[in-house]
Amino acid sequence: MSPLRRIFFSAGLLLALGQAAAQTASSTETTPPVSPEVTALPVIADAAHDPVWRDLLAQLAPTQTRQARFEERRYFPFRSTPVVLTGEIRIVPDRGLSLHYLTPRSLVLIADARGLLMRDEEGRERAAPDDSRTQAATTALVNVLRFNLPELQKSFSLHGRREGERWTLGFEPRDPALAETVGSLLLSGEDLQLRKIELIRSARQRIEILIGETQDNVIFTGDTVRRFFR
Amino acid sequence: MEPRRQKFLARLALAVFMLATIGWLARLDYAQKISTNVLDLIPADERSPEASLVRNLAGDEQARVMLFALRDPANPAVPPLETARQFAAELARAPAFAEALSLADSSSRKALGQAIFERRFKLLLPSWLGRRQQEFARTGQPAAQFSAWLSEHSAAELEIFLGQPEAMPMQDLVMSDPLLLVPGLVKRVYGLASSGSGTNGGTALVWARIKTSPFGEAGQQPVFTAIDAALARIKADRPGTEMRWTGINRFAAASRARIESEFTALNTISILAVLAVGCLLVRRIYQMVHLVPVILLSLLGAWTVSTMVFDHIHILVFVVGSLLSGVAIDYGFYIYMQPALRPGEPYAEKLRRLVKPLLASCLTTVLGFSLLLFSDLPMLREVGVFVGAGLLCALAAAMLYFAQLEQPFLETRRFGRTNGGETSRISPGWVRGALVGAVLIALLGPWRLHWRDDIRDLEIPSPELKANDAALRELFGDSEERTIFLTHGATVAEARQHLAAFLVHEAKIVPQGNTASLGLVFPTAEDWQALASRLNALPHFAGDFREALARHGFTPSAFAGFFAEWEKLQANPPAGDYAALYADLRPHLTGPLALLYRAEEPMSWFLTIVEGNRAPVVPPDLHTIAVSQLESLNGLFTRYRWSALRLSLIGLGLVIASVFAIYRGRTGVRIALIPAGSCFFVFGMLGLFGQTLNLFHLLGAFLGVCLSHNYAIFSAETARDGLAPPTAIRLSALSAAASFGVLGFSHIPVIHALGTTVALIVLTALAVVELEPRARCNAARARGAR
Repeated sequence: MSPLRRIFFSAGLLLALGQAAAQTASSTETTPPVSPEVTALPVIADAAHDPVWRDLLAQLAPTQTRQARFEERRYFPFRSTPVVLTGEIRIVPDRGLSLHYLTPRSLVLIADARGLLMRDEEGRERAAPDDSRTQAATTALVNVLRFNLPELQKSFSLHGRREGERWTLGFEPRDPALAETVGSLLLSGEDLQLRKIELIRSARQRIEILIGETQDNVIFTGDTVRRFFR
Repeated sequence: MEPRRQKFLARLALAVFMLATIGWLARLDYAQKISTNVLDLIPADERSPEASLVRNLAGDEQARVMLFALRDPANPAVPPLETARQFAAELARAPAFAEALSLADSSSRKALGQAIFERRFKLLLPSWLGRRQQEFARTGQPAAQFSAWLSEHSAAELEIFLGQPEAMPMQDLVMSDPLLLVPGLVKRVYGLASSGSGTNGGTALVWARIKTSPFGEAGQQPVFTAIDAALARIKADRPGTEMRWTGINRFAAASRARIESEFTALNTISILAVLAVGCLLVRRIYQMVHLVPVILLSLLGAWTVSTMVFDHIHILVFVVGSLLSGVAIDYGFYIYMQPALRPGEPYAEKLRRLVKPLLASCLTTVLGFSLLLFSDLPMLREVGVFVGAGLLCALAAAMLYFAQLEQPFLETRRFGRTNGGETSRISPGWVRGALVGAVLIALLGPWRLHWRDDIRDLEIPSPELKANDAALRELFGDSEERTIFLTHGATVAEARQHLAAFLVHEAKIVPQGNTASLGLVFPTAEDWQALASRLNALPHFAGDFREALARHGFTPSAFAGFFAEWEKLQANPPAGDYAALYADLRPHLTGPLALLYRAEEPMSWFLTIVEGNRAPVVPPDLHTIAVSQLESLNGLFTRYRWSALRLSLIGLGLVIASVFAIYRGRTGVRIALIPAGSCFFVFGMLGLFGQTLNLFHLLGAFLGVCLSHNYAIFSAETARDGLAPPTAIRLSALSAAASFGVLGFSHIPVIHALGTTVALIVLTALAVVELEPRARCNAARARGAR
C-alpha cells in the first residue's frame, strides 16, 4: 500500500501559512474600535417595526440588478492624503456583489455566499481564506449592502438619523472580532439612493466609498456576469 | 541397503527436518519478522532520490497523520466546531496519539504568524535584500546609488500596495513593516489559499498525529480503539454526530486483512481446483493425500530458510511463495505416478531410474531462481530464496517420503492415460500451420507489449477506503488542480538553494503562476551569510527611505518603530549558524504546518505547491520531484524491471545451458525450446491483445518457464517414442494451471499478474508436450503410408 498520496494531504494545509502570516496584522491590534460617528447617532431599537426605518430599509434592499460608479478613499494613519481608487459596483441579488476597480489597477472583488474572491485582469483568481473570521466579515458586508434587516440585527446594533430625504445609518458590530476586522459601518444617502459607505476603524483609519449615479434593473449579459461574478 | 533400514533412515531424516523447522518457526516474532509496508520492497540502500524521499517520508511523521471530518446532520450547514474541539481534546488525551487539534482553532496559526513577524528581519530580510540587489544590478546604476534606489523603490511599492485589497487588514502591520516583508510573504503563499481553515461547508475538521508507525500493530488497533472511545464520548452528548476519518493505518490494516483473507481463500480454492483435476485423472483420489506432506515439508523448508536468511520479509513473499506448492507438487507427482517396471521393483531402484530428470528439473530451476538473489529488489531476492529452498526441500521430501510407502504408485484413470493412439487424427499440415503461427506470434507479438510499473500494483485495492480518503483530503484542501513538488538536498542549506533554483525555473515557465512553499519563510544560506555586509553597505538607507516616504505621501514619523528597529539591526546585524534559523522557528510550527519541510540530515526537503495540473517532469539539476512520480515510483520500478529482465534472460540462458549439458541433440533442443517458446508465445498473445504488463508478469513468466521446463524434461523419454507425456505431467500441468488460474482472479494486482502469466504458460507448454509427439508420430505414419 503506497502511503504517499495519504502523506501529501498535508500539502493542502500549506495555505494555513498564508492565514497565519495574515493574522499577524491583527495580532498587533489592541482593543476593537468603537466609532463615535456611529454611536453618536440615535439607536434604532427595532428597525423592523420602526415606521421611520421599516419602509426605507425594505425599499433599499436590492431586489433587482444594480450598477453604479464609485470612488473609494482609503485613509491610513501613516499617510497625509488618502489613497484613491475608482471603479464600478454591480449587484445581482441572487449572485452577490462585485466591485470592479478600474484605477489605479484593474481588479475585480466579488463578495457572495461563498466568500470573497479576487480576480485580476488575466482572470487569475485568489480566494480569501474561508476561516470563520473572514467569512463573518464578508457575510456582514454582504448583508449590509443587501440591507438584509433580520441578519443585520443579529450582527450589529443599528443607529440612524433621517433629515428629510437624507438619511444616515450606522452599524456597530456586536462581536469584537467582527469590529476588529471591519470596524463600524456608516451608510448615508438620499431618498432611495445609497451615496456613501464608510468603514471606520479609527479617525485616521477608514475607507469611504462614494457611490455615483445608480442604475437599477440593468441587464447584465452572460459575459458580464461571468466576468464580474462567479 | 535393506528396505527396512532405508525406510527407517528416511523417516528419521524427515522427523529431524520437521522438528528442526517447526522449532525454528515457533520461536519467531512474526510481528517483527513479517512486514506489510510496501516500502520495504524498495532496497534500503537505494540511492535514487525518489526512493530515499519516499522512505524518508513514510518513516517520518508525515505517515502518522490522521484526518477527521465531523458534521451534525441536524444542522448540516453549520460546522460543529465545539464537537470538533472536544473530539480533538479526547484524542489528544489518548496514549496512542501524539497530538490532535481542531483546525478551526487558529491559535497555532496565529502563534506562527506572530513568530514570523517577530523574526522578519532574520528570516525575510536577507532574501528580500538579495532580490533587490539583483534588480538594482539590472538597472546598471553605480553601486553608490543603491540606497537611494532601494528607498525610492520600497516607498513606491508601499504606495502601490495600499491600493490592493489586502492593504486594509494589514495596515497596522505596515507601520512596523514598510518594506512589506511579511505582506510579501503572505502574497506569495496566500495565492493558494482556498480552504484548510478548519471548516468546509458544514463540516468541522480535526487533524491528528499518532505516536507510532501506522504500518505496525501499535499504530493500528490501539489507535482505532482510541478513536472509537473518543467518538463514543462525543456521541453521549451529541448522538447525531457523524464522523469520517482516514489515515495510513486504516489502509495498512485493511491491506493486512485483505492479504490474509485472499491468502486463505485463494489457497483453499487452489487446493479444491487441484483436487478437481485429481478427481478427473486419478482413480483413487484419497491416495493424493500422500502429496500433502511433500508440499508441507517444502513450505516448511522455504519458510525456515527465508526467515533465517532475511531479517524482514514482506508478506507478499509468502503469498507469492505459496505458488511454490504448484511447482513443488511436480516432483511428488512424478515419483508417485511412475509405475514399477516389474513387480516388486525396489523403491531405490525406481528412484535411480527417475533421479536424472528429477535432478535436472530441480537443479536447473533452482539455478534459475538463485539468479533472483542478484536482483535490486528485496522482494525478488526473498522470492528467489523462498522458492529455491522450497524446491530443494520438495525434491528431498518427495524422495524420502515415498520411501515410506509399500507401493508408491498413484494409479490414474484410463482417461488420464489416453495416448490418442488410433483415435488421434492430427494432420501434420495442421500442426505445421499452427507451429508457424505460434512462432510468428512468439516472435512478433512481444514487440507490441506495453510495460508500465507502478508501486501501487503492490497495494491491495480498497475502493471504499480510497473514495473516503479522497473525499476527506478534498475537505482538507487537497486538489487535483495543484501539483505538489518536493525539493531536496543533503543539508537544509542545499535543499533551500535547490528550492530557490526551482522557483526561478517555475517563474520562467509560468511567469504569473501561483507557487507556494514554506521554504519561502527562510532565506537561502547565501543571502543569510551576505546579510551583514549588505546592511553595512546601506548606512544612509534610513534617511533615504524617510525622504522617499515623504515624497510618496507618507508620514515618516508614523514609521518610527520600524526606523528604531532598523537602527538596531544595522548596529548588530543578525548572524550565526544557518541551520539555527530552522531550529528557532521549529517550536512554532505545530500540527500540519510542521510537516511541510524537513531540515535534517541526510535528507532535507521543502514541499512546494504549484497551481494547475502541471507535467511532473522537472530538470534533474533542480533536485525536485513531483509527488505524483513518488506515488508510482514508475521510473524506479522500470529500472528494477529491466534488471529483472536481464536476470531472467541470464537465468534462462543458464537453464538452457544446463539442459544441453545433461541432454544432447534433439532432446536437448526440445527441452530448451518448449519453456522458452511457451513463454514468448504467451507474451506474444498478450501483446497482440494490447495488454500492459509489469515487473510481476515477468516474474510470473520466470515461474512458468521453470514449470514448463519440468514438463519438457519429464516428457523427454516418451516424446522420443512419439507417445503422449506421462500422466504425471498431465496431472501436474493441469493442477498447476488450475491453481495458478485461480490466482488470476486475485484482487491483488501482483498475484493476478503472476497467476495469469503462469497459468497461460503452463497450459501452452502442456499443449505442446501433448500435441508435438502425436503430430510427429502422425507425420511419420503419413510418410509410411505414402
